[in-house]
Amino acid sequence: MLRLDGVQAGYDGTQVLWDVTLAAEKGAMTVLIGPNGAGKSTTLKVINGLVRPTRGHVVFQGEDITRTPAHERPGKGIAACPEGRRLFPLLTTEGNLRLGAYPKGARSSADETLTYVYELFPRLRERARVKAGRLSGGEQQMVGIGRALMSKPSILVLDEPSLGLAPKLVSEIFVKIRELREAGLTVLMVEQNAYAALRIADFGYVMQNGHVVKSGPPNQLLDLEELRKAYFAIP
Amino acid sequence: MKWPKLRAIGPSLWGIGVFLLVLGGLAPWIPRFPLTILVNLLIFAALAYSLNFITGLTGYVNFGHVVFMAVGAYTLGYTVGTIRLHPLGGVALGGLMALVLALGLGAVTLRFRGVYFAIASLVTPLAGLNIVLVLPALGGGQGILLNIGFDPLSWFYTIWAIIATEVGLTYWITHGRLGYGIRAIKSDEDAAKSLGVNAPRLKLFLFALSGLFAGATGGVYAWTTSGVFPEAAFDLTFSLRMLAMIVIGGMGTLLGPLIGAIAVYLPSRFFLTIFIGTESIIIGLVVIVIALFVPGGIVGTLRKYVPELRRILE
Amino acid sequence: MSRTLEASEIHKYFGGVKAVQGVSLTLETARIIGLIGPNGSGKSTLLNVIAGIEKPTKGTVTVDGRRVDGWPAHRMVELGVAKTHQIPKPFLGMTCRENVAVAMMYGSRREGEPASALEESRRILAMVGLDRRADAPASNLTVQERKRLEFARVLATGAGLVLLDEIFAGLSPDELRDAIALFARVQKEQGFGALVVEHVMRAVMILSDFVVVIEEGRKIAEGSPKEVVEDPAVIEAYLGSEATNVTP
Repeated sequence: MLRLDGVQAGYDGTQVLWDVTLAAEKGAMTVLIGPNGAGKSTTLKVINGLVRPTRGHVVFQGEDITRTPAHERPGKGIAACPEGRRLFPLLTTEGNLRLGAYPKGARSSADETLTYVYELFPRLRERARVKAGRLSGGEQQMVGIGRALMSKPSILVLDEPSLGLAPKLVSEIFVKIRELREAGLTVLMVEQNAYAALRIADFGYVMQNGHVVKSGPPNQLLDLEELRKAYFAIP
Repeated sequence: MKWPKLRAIGPSLWGIGVFLLVLGGLAPWIPRFPLTILVNLLIFAALAYSLNFITGLTGYVNFGHVVFMAVGAYTLGYTVGTIRLHPLGGVALGGLMALVLALGLGAVTLRFRGVYFAIASLVTPLAGLNIVLVLPALGGGQGILLNIGFDPLSWFYTIWAIIATEVGLTYWITHGRLGYGIRAIKSDEDAAKSLGVNAPRLKLFLFALSGLFAGATGGVYAWTTSGVFPEAAFDLTFSLRMLAMIVIGGMGTLLGPLIGAIAVYLPSRFFLTIFIGTESIIIGLVVIVIALFVPGGIVGTLRKYVPELRRILE
Repeated sequence: MSRTLEASEIHKYFGGVKAVQGVSLTLETARIIGLIGPNGSGKSTLLNVIAGIEKPTKGTVTVDGRRVDGWPAHRMVELGVAKTHQIPKPFLGMTCRENVAVAMMYGSRREGEPASALEESRRILAMVGLDRRADAPASNLTVQERKRLEFARVLATGAGLVLLDEIFAGLSPDELRDAIALFARVQKEQGFGALVVEHVMRAVMILSDFVVVIEEGRKIAEGSPKEVVEDPAVIEAYLGSEATNVTP
């Protein structure tokens, strides 16, 4: 469904991605793991259109979107939940969620989708009138994911959903993400927390220093020794 | 620091030096009317050089520079008016008072960066004016009228000496170790600090120099006008005109303030009768155009596009 | 002359955010200490506190036994402790030589004459491989060249203890190999002590004599590079806890 082909990218002359090729299959949960500084978040920014690759292609549902501007991508069905959530702190929970339904295809069915999001995260219905800035970290993460869902995406792209959350909350959020995948949504997730991510994944990629160094189904990647080598650059 | 060997001194300093010497030698033979115009021009040049110490060299835009001039003018007005001090003494004291004020003001406002410093500096002339208006000793709203006669040649040599000192100091500062520290601050203050540059002290030093010379020049100005008048002394457009001079001439350069003073003063002196009331608008427009399109000013731009001039113009 | 910097029980809070919570470490001449940790663990904040850019909320920093916490950055440089910026901050209007000369005149060397500082800066630029760019304006440098200039300036201050913030980021594998070799050579020649905050593990593993790992502002492990990467707490911090149970 989504494919990156030999992507190179960076910021201001500092190259971060040297050669990234990966694919997120339809209806599957794909995770991208690796230590910080490996280029995971940059890879997501390439997918969102926030960073333009210097080389390589991004293909989504058969269409080359390498040069599609970031603001047009949600309309094509790519919904992102950025790292650190990036909510609008002065808007209420519901206000933040409704903003997610901004793409044309999603506006008319916003009410239905909202009901769906509230069913998925009942906690958010209780907090609907609370300003996002006053929510707990876990609740904010739920709003972030909910807001991404509001655009009725074909693929949900998540950046480090576990960041800054207590272990109990991490597993709670991950259970929800798994539920989404069970319901048929395609998910691509970036995580440093390799174990938690691989547990719920269908397929995983390991990144190191801007390269994809390993890929495979979780049971092949869940090898502590191998992961440790990748994370700590042990030869 | 050792004095630079004469041969090592750059052409710009030579040029200004020769210009000043010739002017100084000719002055006694210049008729009174042209001489007063020359004195006025030199007063502007001296103000531009004084502002150049802080705004030109560090990039801290000071809209309140006119305050130092006002302090110098009032100091001269008060001391000459009440204790019959010689005007030269008034000029020296004026400089000193402005220096003290600059140390006090700078210790507070130089903590702000960029546009925040500029805004803080805007407040000082307004505050100064309101303080003076309620002080009977300084004549309140009436100001101070002096009866010290008409002596263009003394004015001339006083302002001449001030400019010569400013130019010499500017050269000394920009050509030594201090100059590197100052350029570093202007380029990136945080990086300068992290390489050991004591930025707060260096900025305060320049601000104090800037106050000292503006104060002394303010004294000379009060001397030439035989008095001080509050609305004129704290006139913000004076600050703007000084800024215009260094922007047009070339910020932080040795020649820039002089060239800028000539470029601003002479046209406004002679077109005043034609474009009455619109003079500030014209200066404002010129400054905007220069700041947008030729940020180096006259000197900076010539240096940039005519490489042969780089060794000559500073 | 051997120098010792000791940071003890450093805390740094920003409002309610506790960025650093009681970290201690020691930096000595001729030793390279690696400081690692996941994103947002407080590494850069700790480095800024040690460099005098931030004041610690609690805790002390001493250099050769003298209390220096709360000293401004420029005094730390005079004392011989200098830091690079994660994003290089060259003086854009100056040439590379002039950039280095500023550090030479205002750092602990206190070189008084611009002419000799400019002359000497050639040697330092050559050391980091920037000799061919000596007279180029810093604004013309590439990002990687700017990083080298940043390093050259810190060397030029004459600092015996240097703090380096991610100087190896963004290099290709070949460039990284060269940069590590260059750094090792210069460090051996100059004999400075270095505290290296780094994401690029390869550099940390090869260069460090000792590694300190922090997570959420707290020290979770320290020891030789080999020791720390086998430490369960470190593995958990990086890879996630195996105990984080998720039932599919």
